[in-house]
Amino acid sequence: MARARRLTVAARARLRSRHLRPLDVPVWLLGMLVAAAWAAPFVWMVSTSLKPAGQVMTRTIEWLPRRVVLDNYATVLRYPVATWALNSVVVAAVATALGVLFGAMAGYALARLRFPGRRVLFGLLLASMMIPGEITVVPMLIAFIRIGWASTYQALILPLVANVLSVYIFRQFFLQFPAELEDAAIVDGASRMTVFWRIAFPLARSSTIAATVILFTLNWNSFLWPLLVTFDEEMKTLPVGIAAFAPSVGTHTQLEGYGAAMAAITILSVPSLLLFLLLQRYFIEGVKGAGLTG
Amino acid sequence: MTRAGGGRRRRIDWSGYAFVGFFTVPFCLFTILPVLFGGYVGFTEWGILGTPKWVGLANFREAFRDEWVGRAFLNVLLYGLCIVPGVGLLGLVFALFVNQGWPLSALARTCFFAPTVVSAPVIGLVWVWMLDTQFGIVNQSLAMLGIGPVPWLTSTRWSLVGVSLASIWWDLGLPFVLFLAALQEVPGVLYEAAAVDGANRAQQFRFVTLPHLRPTVSLVVTLQVIATMRIFSQVYVMTNGGPAGSSSSVIHYIYTTAIVRQLLGYASAVSILLFGAILLVTLVQRLLIRERGTWLGRAA
Repeated sequence: MARARRLTVAARARLRSRHLRPLDVPVWLLGMLVAAAWAAPFVWMVSTSLKPAGQVMTRTIEWLPRRVVLDNYATVLRYPVATWALNSVVVAAVATALGVLFGAMAGYALARLRFPGRRVLFGLLLASMMIPGEITVVPMLIAFIRIGWASTYQALILPLVANVLSVYIFRQFFLQFPAELEDAAIVDGASRMTVFWRIAFPLARSSTIAATVILFTLNWNSFLWPLLVTFDEEMKTLPVGIAAFAPSVGTHTQLEGYGAAMAAITILSVPSLLLFLLLQRYFIEGVKGAGLTG
Repeated sequence: MTRAGGGRRRRIDWSGYAFVGFFTVPFCLFTILPVLFGGYVGFTEWGILGTPKWVGLANFREAFRDEWVGRAFLNVLLYGLCIVPGVGLLGLVFALFVNQGWPLSALARTCFFAPTVVSAPVIGLVWVWMLDTQFGIVNQSLAMLGIGPVPWLTSTRWSLVGVSLASIWWDLGLPFVLFLAALQEVPGVLYEAAAVDGANRAQQFRFVTLPHLRPTVSLVVTLQVIATMRIFSQVYVMTNGGPAGSSSSVIHYIYTTAIVRQLLGYASAVSILLFGAILLVTLVQRLLIRERGTWLGRAA
């Protein structure tokens, strides 16, 4: 808790704080109103999810449920939501851990080490950012079906582990990393790997957190690939399973109503929203860094 | 210790390969190889079973005649016209507001960025519910202003607009943060100098802020154009491309072709066309904007 508070304080400190002049009050009010409207869909989602079936469709807007019930959540839990959630946790956690680790190592090498092929690799990274990932999806699907890996954890995780964004975040950090810190260790005869694990990587803590939160969110939200590669209900990830509540995709909403659909997406959005609220500063710094590099 | 001389710099760090190996192997297997393979498949005829049969340019010829492909590319263009200005302008205005540092700015920043972190089904479903023709809060709010019910997602006329609204809400976070970062980097001295010279707020914005934001504008536009050309998830969840293909996108068409109709060769060919289009648009943008020192330029 104290930790979270410190982060919010730090985040707030980054904004120049200025007093409100009387003339600015209307603008400020309008702006805060828009901000509230921007958050309103989330309020509406949670509120609808807590309403009893008869009170979801109303003639006028009712922002708060007249009576709070958990019926909709019970309805959603009749579907294999726990299995989907477990799949999502496994996939997102493993893919993120590997993505951050591999990204840190590659980012370090690209920033600090000279070896033949370094420029070619970096060029490939740059070029791959121009290629929509969706293009690789069809051939990859064929390949995974052919080797019999469709609907497996390997299929869900492996394509996510080489994350270019992660490499960028770490490369950016290590480019500014003072060489003196490592030189002493190198002179003492430490290998590059030792230097990386003992000195460089531990000092890249902020980049590690930034890469972790961003990659976790991306992986947790990943949609098209798991949608294509999972054929069994038990191997679906949470977003794919819950997408069947969309009227255009599945029939869950016709069957269960919007209350259940809102309960389903509340369950789906809680982990990423919570992570964001707690680690907001790292999110924003990381996204900024990633955006500036590509 | 300065990085002592040329000798040290020229020495090759063979351990570099060990470092990049862990990344490079999956990168080649799951990014580079599929791209090359997809390039090959685009010139073949292939169902999920059987072997690919080389058909040369037949898929591409068919794609140019296929009215659904034309429709999908046109829709992507329309999505771009709705989403890119929407996200760019709102992102800038919201960033200017938050950058004032007035009370509760941090809260406003949280509100503006939050939708970016949730996944497609969340965006899709919450907007399907809000845009419901009869009971959705959007139409109920419009009714209070005397505007009749708009069939947002169920008519060929409005479905693309409905999906765009949700996309703007979802995509705004990144441009907002990039603009905010750029605004915070404008040296305060410049505003003071401008104020001393008698510039009012509008003039300060025009002559101090705006010139500093130019690289960010080009970055935001580039990123958003590419993102919009790849629009899929929200389309899939909200309308599944309908009604009658009116909100379909290129990736949605690729998805339908590959998965529902199982025409892998044809789907790959359309992917190649999309890649070509993205490449073309990016190059044109870079020529038009001519910003050195940003984005790819800075990274390289």
